[in-house]
Amino acid sequence: MVLLQRPHILLLLIGTHQFLQCWIAFGSVNEEGQKQEEFSEELLLKPLPDHKLLAHFHFQSSGPPSTSNGCHHHLFPKAISQLVQKFRIKEMELSFTKGRWNYESWGGFDPLSSSNAKPPGVELWAVFDVPQHHIDASWKNLTHTLSGLFCASINFLESTATYSTPEWSFPPASGNVRYGTLPCEAVCTENLTPWLKLLPCRDKAGIALLLDRPSLYRGFYHSQQLHLTSTGSSSEGIDSGIILEQTLTVVLQPNSEMAIEVHASEKHIQPSWSLSSIFGKQVSGRCVLAKPSSVYLLLDRGLSAANGLTSENFWSNPSFELSANPDRIFLEESSSHSKSLSILYMFQVEKYCESEPFDIGLMWKVPVAWLCQQTPLHASRFLMGSGNERAAIAISLKSTQFTEGFMSANSKDGSCELRVDVFQVVPWYVKVYFHSLRVFVDQQPRAVSDIIEKIHVSPSKDKMSPGVMEVVLKLPCRVNTAALTIEFDKGFLRIDEYLPDANQGFDIPSAIISFPNFHASMVFLEDDSLNKSPLLSKFQEKCPVMSYTEVLLVPLTTPDFSMPYNVITITCTVFALYFGSLLNVLQRRVAEEERFLKAKAAKKTGRLPLLLSKLSAKLRGSGINQN
Amino acid sequence: MAEISEAPDSDSSKLLGSDSKAPQRPDSEPEFDPKLMRKTKPGLKRLFLTFSVLFSFLLGFPFLWKSVEIYRSPLPFREIDSLSTQLRSDTLLFPLHFHALFVGFDSDPDRLRWSILSEITKLTSQNPKCSDNYTLSVTVDLGSRCLRGPTSSPHSSSYQCGSVTGDDFVQNDDVVVDERLASVFGGKNNEYSMAVVKGVSERAVVGKYRHAWMVVGDGSDVEMAVVKVAEVLIKVFINGGREEGLIRNEFMPVGADGKIVLSFNLLNADPHDWVYDWDFEKIDDTLLTPMIEALGPVANISVESQVLYHTPKASFSYWNQKLESYVFSTKDLPFFVNSNEWHLDTSIAAGGRSKILQFAVYVPSAKECPLLLQLPNGEISKTNGFISPMWGGVIVWNPQGCLKDSEFKPSAKNIIPIQDLENMFEVFIGQFRQLFGFKSLNVYTGASGDWNLLPSERGFTEWELDVLSRQHTCFNLHSCATTLGSLSRLVQSLPRMIIKDEIGKQVKLSLEAAKLALSNASSGVYEFSAASSSQARSLAEDAFFHPSIMSVSYYSFEHCFAVYSPFFLPVSMHVVLAALRELRRYKQEKAKYLAWKAKANTAT
Repeated sequence: MVLLQRPHILLLLIGTHQFLQCWIAFGSVNEEGQKQEEFSEELLLKPLPDHKLLAHFHFQSSGPPSTSNGCHHHLFPKAISQLVQKFRIKEMELSFTKGRWNYESWGGFDPLSSSNAKPPGVELWAVFDVPQHHIDASWKNLTHTLSGLFCASINFLESTATYSTPEWSFPPASGNVRYGTLPCEAVCTENLTPWLKLLPCRDKAGIALLLDRPSLYRGFYHSQQLHLTSTGSSSEGIDSGIILEQTLTVVLQPNSEMAIEVHASEKHIQPSWSLSSIFGKQVSGRCVLAKPSSVYLLLDRGLSAANGLTSENFWSNPSFELSANPDRIFLEESSSHSKSLSILYMFQVEKYCESEPFDIGLMWKVPVAWLCQQTPLHASRFLMGSGNERAAIAISLKSTQFTEGFMSANSKDGSCELRVDVFQVVPWYVKVYFHSLRVFVDQQPRAVSDIIEKIHVSPSKDKMSPGVMEVVLKLPCRVNTAALTIEFDKGFLRIDEYLPDANQGFDIPSAIISFPNFHASMVFLEDDSLNKSPLLSKFQEKCPVMSYTEVLLVPLTTPDFSMPYNVITITCTVFALYFGSLLNVLQRRVAEEERFLKAKAAKKTGRLPLLLSKLSAKLRGSGINQN
Repeated sequence: MAEISEAPDSDSSKLLGSDSKAPQRPDSEPEFDPKLMRKTKPGLKRLFLTFSVLFSFLLGFPFLWKSVEIYRSPLPFREIDSLSTQLRSDTLLFPLHFHALFVGFDSDPDRLRWSILSEITKLTSQNPKCSDNYTLSVTVDLGSRCLRGPTSSPHSSSYQCGSVTGDDFVQNDDVVVDERLASVFGGKNNEYSMAVVKGVSERAVVGKYRHAWMVVGDGSDVEMAVVKVAEVLIKVFINGGREEGLIRNEFMPVGADGKIVLSFNLLNADPHDWVYDWDFEKIDDTLLTPMIEALGPVANISVESQVLYHTPKASFSYWNQKLESYVFSTKDLPFFVNSNEWHLDTSIAAGGRSKILQFAVYVPSAKECPLLLQLPNGEISKTNGFISPMWGGVIVWNPQGCLKDSEFKPSAKNIIPIQDLENMFEVFIGQFRQLFGFKSLNVYTGASGDWNLLPSERGFTEWELDVLSRQHTCFNLHSCATTLGSLSRLVQSLPRMIIKDEIGKQVKLSLEAAKLALSNASSGVYEFSAASSSQARSLAEDAFFHPSIMSVSYYSFEHCFAVYSPFFLPVSMHVVLAALRELRRYKQEKAKYLAWKAKANTAT
C-alpha cells in the first residue's frame, strides 16, 4: 500500500504525466528486486590425478513464484516454466552421460562427484506434486515432452516396464518419485543444443562460449544435467519459485604439447593446460545477463597436501604457475576428518572483454602425484554364470584405503557400523530370485539377516514392471570386502520386443550405492561473497555420498529372426507335398499305366529305353506284386 | 466301394483282352482298335474326386480372405459426401435483419425499402462459401408517428417513434451519439440498424455496436443516402469492411481445437550494446485482457511472453544518410525473421493443435540503430512493423538512446518506457486485427464516400465480432467437410488400412456436430453454431490425425502373399493340373467310347 501511495506523492511534486509513468516502470522493477529472475554462470576447473582435467559448467536460472508472474518470463526459459506448471513437478533431474566416471582416480567423496557422476545414457527422475493416481499419467506426458524438448528417446521411459518407484533408498525420499534410465542412449550434440537454448545467452557469450563441440565430445566423460526444483503451488508455504540448474561436467585430456617439450625424464609431470588449449576457445567477456559470472580453479585436498600448501603459504606456491592472477582465493573451512584443505582460486570474468579475453592457464613446474578422496567403499558390479538360461549378479564393495582412518575416527563406541544403501532396478526379463540373495563379508558367507537391516523388494511383472530391490546394509567398519549376489533366470522375449541390435545384449541399469552417513560438502571461508555464488553454496549443501556401478550387459537367447518365416515356408512345403502326393495317389490308374508300359516295351527295341523301362517296371512291379 | 471293385475288374478284363487279343481279335470284333475306342463307359470317379477338391479349395478361399481381412470400422461415407455437397450447394445461410431508420425524411418507406434492396443486390458479391439471408425493414420517423416498411415486421415495431431526433446528432462527439443510439436500438443479435438523419454537419459513422448513422445535409436527396445505406450494410456489417484480396477470407488464425496462444517476444539483438526488458504484466492487464474477453466466442486465447537475447535479424540493412538511420525494405521482409537464432518456441502449455501467433519486438543492436522499415513507395513505415499471415507480427523498436548515443550506459538493464510499450501494443492489436482480416485504419473508404469507424477499446467492435463468428462457423464447417472428405477418400483408396472404432466414432460425432452447427446457423444462434462448428472441426481433425492411421500401412498385401504363397502356390498347382488332366482324359475316353458305340451301332 505504501508503494502504491508513493507515485501519488511524486505526482503532486512533479505533476508531469510522462515522468510518472517512467517512474512506475522503474519502480516496479526495483520493488520486485529480490524476487526477480536471476541467472548465473560459473565454471570450475579441477586437475585430476591421472593427468586429466575436470571442467564443470554450472548455470543456474531462478524464476520467481509462478503465481506472481504467471506466464511472462524475462530470463527464465519459458519452456521449463511451462513444463513445471503443466506437470506440477516438484523436483526433476535429467542427465545425459557419455562415458563412465572413474571413481578410483577421479574421486567420489566430494560434492562434485557425488552429484555429477551419473550412469551412462539417460537418467531421469521426477517428483510430482499431484495425487497418487495421477503420477503415472504425469510421468508419461513428461517423458514425451522431454523427449521432444531434448531430441532424445526419453519417450521409451513411458512404458511401465521401464520406470520404477523407489520407496526410500533413492535420495529424494518421497513416495511420489519416479525413476527411469536408458543405459544405451547415445548422447551427442543434438542433445546439447536444446540444452543450451535454455540459457539466456546460449553459447553466444559468456562462459558457454567455451562449449566447443569437437573438444567437448572428445573427452573421457561427459555429463549434461538439468536439475529443477520448484516450490510453487506447494502447501508448505515457502514459495521460492523455480530453480533450474544446468550443469555440464566434462573430463578432458589436456593437449600435452607443452609437456612434450620438457625432457623425457620428466614424463611424470602433469600436463600444463590453458582454456584455449583445452577448448580451443577463450572467454571474451561475460554473458551480460549473468550475475555472477566466474571461473574457479579447485585444488583438492590431496593436491594441496602434495604441494605442501597450507593456509599460510598458498599465495606463493612453488609447484605450479597460473597465467592469470586470481581475484580471490578461498580456503576450505578446516574439517575434522582431513588434515589438508582444498583451495579455490576465483577469477571474475566481468573484468575481461573482447579485446582482452580471459584465458587461464596452469603450468606445472615439478611433478606432483596425489590421490582424490574416495568413497568409503568402492562398488563394482559384474555378472556370474554362463549360458543362456541363468546367471547371477554380484555387487562387490571393496574398502578403499583412503577412508580407513576416517572410519576409525568415526567409531566412538565399539560397535562401529557402516551403512550402505543399495538401489537396484532390473528389467522384467531378468527374473531375479530374491530368496537367492547372499551376502559375503570378507569372503565369508554371512547370514542375510545379520547384515541386511532393511530390505524392500518389488518383484517384476512380465512386460509390466521392472523388479526393484532396495537394501540397507550394515557392515562392520573394518570390512575389507563385501559382496551381494543374487541369481536370476533369463526370460524369453517376444520377437518384437528385441532391440534392433539383439545380439549386443540387454543392459541392466546401474545400481546406486549410497552412504547415507557420509556427507560430501565443501565449506569455504569468507562467507560474505558465498551467498552470491550458487556453485559454492551448492558445494556447501550436505549431500550423501553416492556412486553408480557399471552398466551390465546381459546376453539373452537371440532367436533367428527369420525363423517364423522359415517355419511357415517349411510347413507349407510339407503340407503341399503331402497334399500333392495324396492327390496323385487318388487319381492314379495303376493297371492302365502298366499296360501302357508293356505296350511300349513290346514296340520299342532300343537298348537303353528297354533297360530303363525294365528298371522302372521292376521298381513299380514289385509294389504291384505285393498288392 | 462298388465302383472301386468294379474298376479293376474292367481293367483286368481289358488286360485279359489285350493279353489274348492276338487270337481273339479277328473273329469277335475285327474293327475294334483299343487306341481309338473303348467298350466301357469312362468312369467319373476320379474326375469327381479332383473336382471336389478343386471346388472345396475355391469355396474355402472366401473364408481365408475373410480371416486375413483387417478390421475396418464402417465410416458413414454417404453422410460425409452429403455434408460436403450440402455445404457446396450454398445452403449455409445466416439470417440477418437490417433496419433502416430515416429521421426527418418524408418519403414512402416501401419505396425506400425497394430502392435499398435493389442497391443491395447490386453490391452483393457472390461469396462462394457462405452467404447471408437478410430481411430489411425501413422506418420513417416523422416525430409524432412512424411509417414502417413492411407494416407487420416484428423487428421494426420494436422501435419507439420519436426516440431518435435530429438534435441527438448536433454534438460532435461520436462516442456519445453511439451510446445514445445503442440505448435506442438495444443491439440485439444479428440485427443491424442504420439511422439517416438530416442535420447540419455531415458525417457518416459506424458505431461500436451494431449500428451506424449518417447525418446528411438538408438539401441532399434520398437516393444518395440510399446508396450509402446499402453500401454500409453490405460492405461493413456483412463483409467486415475488409478489402477483397487483402487476406483471403478462409484464413482464420484459430487452432483446430479453437485455441490461440499469443506469444510475445522481446528480442534483444545484441545484449552487449543494451538490454531491454518490459513490464509485460501491466500491458497484459490493461490492453490485452479486454480484447481476449471480447474474442471469447471465437477463440480461447492465452497469452505468454518471454525476453530473448542474442537474436540478430537475418536480413541486411543499409545506412541512409538522408534519414540518418538504417533502412530495410519490404523485399527483405521474408528474411527478417531469423529462425535459427530466434528460438521463439512452440508452447508446451498449448495443446497439440492450438494456433500459436508470434509477436516479436525487435530491439536492434547499436550497429543498426535506428532501424526503419521502408515501404515500396519510398516512405517510412509509421508502425515500423509487419505481419506474416498465420504466423504473427514483428515490430522494430528503436531505443531512445541510440539516436543520441550519449549518456547511455551499455549493458545497464533498461525498461521500455510504458508509453512506448502502449504504442507498441496498439500496433500489435492492429496487427492482430489484420491477421483476422480486418483493417487497422479507422476509416472505411467505400465507393460512395468515407465512413468513420469508431474503434472499440476492446480491439474488436461488436459487428466485427459478429462477422468473425459467422466467418468462423463457415470456415470451421468447410474445413470439417474437407477433412472428412479427405479422410473418406484416403480410407477408400487404401483397402488394407485398419480403421479403429474410435475413428468411426469421431467421424460420427463430428458429423453430428456439423449438422447441429448448420441448423443453429440457419436459425440464427451464432454462438452455439460457432461452438459446435469448432467442435466438428476438431473432431474431424482428431479422426484424421489419429495415431493408429499411420501405423497401418506397413501390413501390406505383399506380406500376406509371402506368408500364404508357400502353401497355396504348390497345392493349387497340383489341384488345378490334376483337374485339367482328369478333364482332358475324361473327354478323350468319352470320345473313344462314343467312337466304339458308333461303330457298334453301325455294326449291328
